[in-house]
Amino acid sequence: MKAIGIIFGMLALAIGVVPQFTNCSAQGHAIELPDGRTIPMKCHWTAMAAPAVAVPLLIVGGLMFFSRRRETLPALSLLGAVLGIFAILLPTYLIGVCASDEMLCNIEMKPTMIFSGAVTLGAGLAGLVLAGKTRSGRFTDAAESD
Amino acid sequence: MNLIRLALRNIAGNSFRSFVVLLCALLISSMALTTGMILFGADNSLQLAMERLGADIIIVPEGAADRIESALLMGRPTQSWMSASVVERVAAAMDVQAVSPQLYLATLSNASCCTVSDMFLIAYDPKTDFVVTPWLEKTIGGELRLGEVVGGTDVFVPAGEEGIKLYGYAVALKAKMEPTGTGLDRSLFLTIETAREIARVSRTKAEKPLEIPQNSVSAVMVKVRPGCNPRAVALNISVHIKGVTPILSPDMFQSQRKELAGLRNGVVMTLMLTLVLSVLLIGLVFSMAANERRRELGVLRALGATRSFVFRVLLSEAGLLALYGGVAGAALTILAVVLFRKLIIATLGIPFLIPALPMLAGLILGGLACSLLTVMLAAMLPAYRISHEDPSLAMRE
Repeated sequence: MKAIGIIFGMLALAIGVVPQFTNCSAQGHAIELPDGRTIPMKCHWTAMAAPAVAVPLLIVGGLMFFSRRRETLPALSLLGAVLGIFAILLPTYLIGVCASDEMLCNIEMKPTMIFSGAVTLGAGLAGLVLAGKTRSGRFTDAAESD
Repeated sequence: MNLIRLALRNIAGNSFRSFVVLLCALLISSMALTTGMILFGADNSLQLAMERLGADIIIVPEGAADRIESALLMGRPTQSWMSASVVERVAAAMDVQAVSPQLYLATLSNASCCTVSDMFLIAYDPKTDFVVTPWLEKTIGGELRLGEVVGGTDVFVPAGEEGIKLYGYAVALKAKMEPTGTGLDRSLFLTIETAREIARVSRTKAEKPLEIPQNSVSAVMVKVRPGCNPRAVALNISVHIKGVTPILSPDMFQSQRKELAGLRNGVVMTLMLTLVLSVLLIGLVFSMAANERRRELGVLRALGATRSFVFRVLLSEAGLLALYGGVAGAALTILAVVLFRKLIIATLGIPFLIPALPMLAGLILGGLACSLLTVMLAAMLPAYRISHEDPSLAMRE
């Protein structure tokens, strides 16, 4: 379970940090209005929202790493999995990214968030299964040595 | 307790050792699968691009071959021109069955009059064309009319708009072609008549007009007579028509093929190095584990387990770890390669298409076999040594 805590922590960093440098605004691109003003592109808001998923995930990872109470592990794993789903939904459905496939947000930011989210979801589900087995005593030895 | 359950308990009993072996198996399967997906995908992509171009020989202006190949392969627009008289001269050459001119154009960069920035436009002559027209007849049952275009698989009409704006002129996307993984997927095909109309409209509606030089073409597609040698025809053209470079279809994308060969060598070397290091690391981990577990395995032998049973338990542990790691590696690799395909193409400078399902299944099995073989090979010697040890000695130490 400590390993899953570490994985959550690393993925939280990827979800929180990578979008800050790979959104189009960070590259100096913006939408120019007819009156000459500029407004940020869609991917800028996704990057702004990413820490809202990354920070709780980092806390969940930390709690999983340091927690000695087995009863909390299933809930933490489930929370991690849900945050993984949000990391996938942010650049795809909730906010989205720029329309052009050739923009940096489509090439780097969106894949990074989907990949990290999918791995977080997988790790969360694996944690949930392992926590269930630990509670039912099938892998008690493993949990103790962990 | 059966063999697999015992192996599973042993795996769970030492999580650090299991994690190291699992990680090595994951790495091996992932590297093998990535190598396979990119190399086979790149080969497939080049082949499909060649088939899409559909000509035996492509005649381009002298010195423009590399730029045009790069444009067709990576979708980086280029413009180069030669006299339209080349079309008639090539048509008159020996053993040439059909010729068709093409114009290579591009949309403006970040201009409000163009929906897509820097898109490669290929204008063809429907009267002579033998590349796009047969495909169109099968797909839409006719030819493109004025203002109509067909696009590669990645071309789309933006939400809320009726067409794609090119130099202030909205064209209708009639159909999309099958993916090739190359720049052709992001290119538009239109008739020369539509291109000239866009050029006319662009003078008033675009930020910068589209210039199409009079009596000029960018390339001439050539089909040779059946049974004739395209190489001889190309040689004949290069000797008799000055200022042009004929590129034979099998010779297309030679620089990319060379890059691919270099990449193949580098990746295979890295894979081999990873395999060797993994065998050494896993062998070391299993040797340490075998030494730690001498007493436990000695007890197992004293309780009546045969040498072969102990050997099989240890190999089952290795096999299960390799399988878990291999499956996880394959899943992560497919996810990563599919999601980061464009980034990989931009980084390597070589286009590739995700292989079709049967090929992908073969590559996954190959990756799993690689990780299974490596881990089993590394575990074989420590497992053999410990299973052949005298139980009384093992228990005493």
